[in-house]
Amino acid sequence: MAGIYHTLTLQADSFLIAFYRITGYSLLDYFIGTMFVAFLCVTIGELSVSLAIRFNKRYLDSMAKEIDDKEMLALTAYQAGDKDSYRSLNKEATDAWGKQFFTMAAYSAGILWPIPFALGWMQTRFSGVEFELAFPFSLIFGKSVGYIFTFIPIYILCRILFKYMRPHLPYFKGIQIFLNSRDTKESH
Amino acid sequence: MRKIILVFCSMLLFFTYVAPFILPGDAGAVTLEEAISQAAKGTEKGYINPDAQKGYLGIPGGPKVNPFIGLLWAVWVGWIFSTVGAFGGIMAGVGHMTVYGLGAYANTFKTTAPDLNKFITDSIRVSNQWLVGLSALVSSINYHRQKRLVPALGVFLGMGALFATLLVVFTTAGKIRFSQYQGWFGLCVFVIGGFMVYEMTPKGQASKKAAQAAAKAFEETAKTKGRIEDQGVETLKWSLIKTEISFFGQTFSFSPIWAFVGGFFISALASFLGVGGGFLYVPFLTSVVGLPMFVVAGTSALSVLIGMIFAIFNFMILKGVMVHWPLIGIELIGIFIGSMIGPRTGKYIPAKVLKGIFIVLALYIGLRYTLRGFFGIQML
Repeated sequence: MAGIYHTLTLQADSFLIAFYRITGYSLLDYFIGTMFVAFLCVTIGELSVSLAIRFNKRYLDSMAKEIDDKEMLALTAYQAGDKDSYRSLNKEATDAWGKQFFTMAAYSAGILWPIPFALGWMQTRFSGVEFELAFPFSLIFGKSVGYIFTFIPIYILCRILFKYMRPHLPYFKGIQIFLNSRDTKESH
Repeated sequence: MRKIILVFCSMLLFFTYVAPFILPGDAGAVTLEEAISQAAKGTEKGYINPDAQKGYLGIPGGPKVNPFIGLLWAVWVGWIFSTVGAFGGIMAGVGHMTVYGLGAYANTFKTTAPDLNKFITDSIRVSNQWLVGLSALVSSINYHRQKRLVPALGVFLGMGALFATLLVVFTTAGKIRFSQYQGWFGLCVFVIGGFMVYEMTPKGQASKKAAQAAAKAFEETAKTKGRIEDQGVETLKWSLIKTEISFFGQTFSFSPIWAFVGGFFISALASFLGVGGGFLYVPFLTSVVGLPMFVVAGTSALSVLIGMIFAIFNFMILKGVMVHWPLIGIELIGIFIGSMIGPRTGKYIPAKVLKGIFIVLALYIGLRYTLRGFFGIQML
């Protein structure tokens, strides 16, 4: 399996590095190429998490309902002035929340898993590249930063961009409609 | 609200500019290249063979983690996340330390190359943080949409988290031997196991019974209320001693100082061990501070995210700690697969049986790591 991974990395390398050689200006090319890699990570992550949402929709809905019901019961007890009941129900709601929190943790993995592979590939190409920082950022982050520091803000920008693009993209348009219908159902 | 933002920004600027200067220098952290060059050369355990094939982190002769085992263990972690919850983070840590052999490898350099021992230990810590810390990412965005974020609470939790992570990173990066880390990790797991045992006792179950009775009493009244999301949280009064918020027509209060203290200690634990932040914030805020769960949930998720981002950033960007990216990637895939399988299998295994299994695991891991780490006693 390590051999397969190594082969895949080599094949991906020849594909990905092409995006770092577009204009001929090294700094501009670096940011264009990194933006492409980041956008690829966003798209693949969105694809995989959409599978999770479709696959476990009923389970996610039941968890959300359990938390809603328990939260409402705790609040009702608080309003009635029954502190003991409020504390017990609050704890139940907390336990239910804990389960949902960690389920969403695992789903976050579905969104984020391409990033370490992208960073692993970037490490093979750009580990020695340093970007000098101007004052006052140099006081906080040091005199220079590497590829990780540049990748993360670009990834965040790509995520924001994808959010606006999603309603217009095939397949993702359907996911957006599905998510919107859930939001509408919950608000009623 | 403006006052809160002003205080927060001032303190953030203060800590980020001043903290690195007033805290111990670089805590003795060296780069990987320096650690390898300083290590004794040879072919025995605990020595670096420069001619050997590169393994973990690119260290010559380092262990090559089998991606298939990494994937399988991560599926197990993801399964736990989606069936039980918090214990998955501990299992992720066990994977890094024991299952993949990284802990045993780090230990071989205890006397021959202490800097390399500490570097690998830091790498294990940050690997744990990557897997567990970014868990709050999706949750935080959802809670913001549902108007569940309490700015005043989040600010003080965040300040506690920021200060704690800076303190932990700048005082421990490059200073912690693997055996010390293993000992503290084991102690934490042991304490968690203790809490899980308590919850199974009649006294621990009493709260559950009280909740069931209370639920019956208030069920009908609760049905007549509107949607929680329709209301949103509003800050009524703010001071360092007491802050009041209104929600659903009710007023709740909390002390920002307690929020800061809680944020500090929980974040310190999470930054040091790589586990513990996610499931400690909410119980702390609901049980100790007394806030209702629906108010703290989103804010806590955001605090976990902020704390872990600070910790990962400080370790990796400021201290140069490295992680093995392909391993992290494979683990994330495994966790995702496990979380998809979990809901499908949960109905076949009673919750009590699951809890029992994890109690046994927690006590075993806790005892084994604590004895091994602090006393060098190898048990089972």
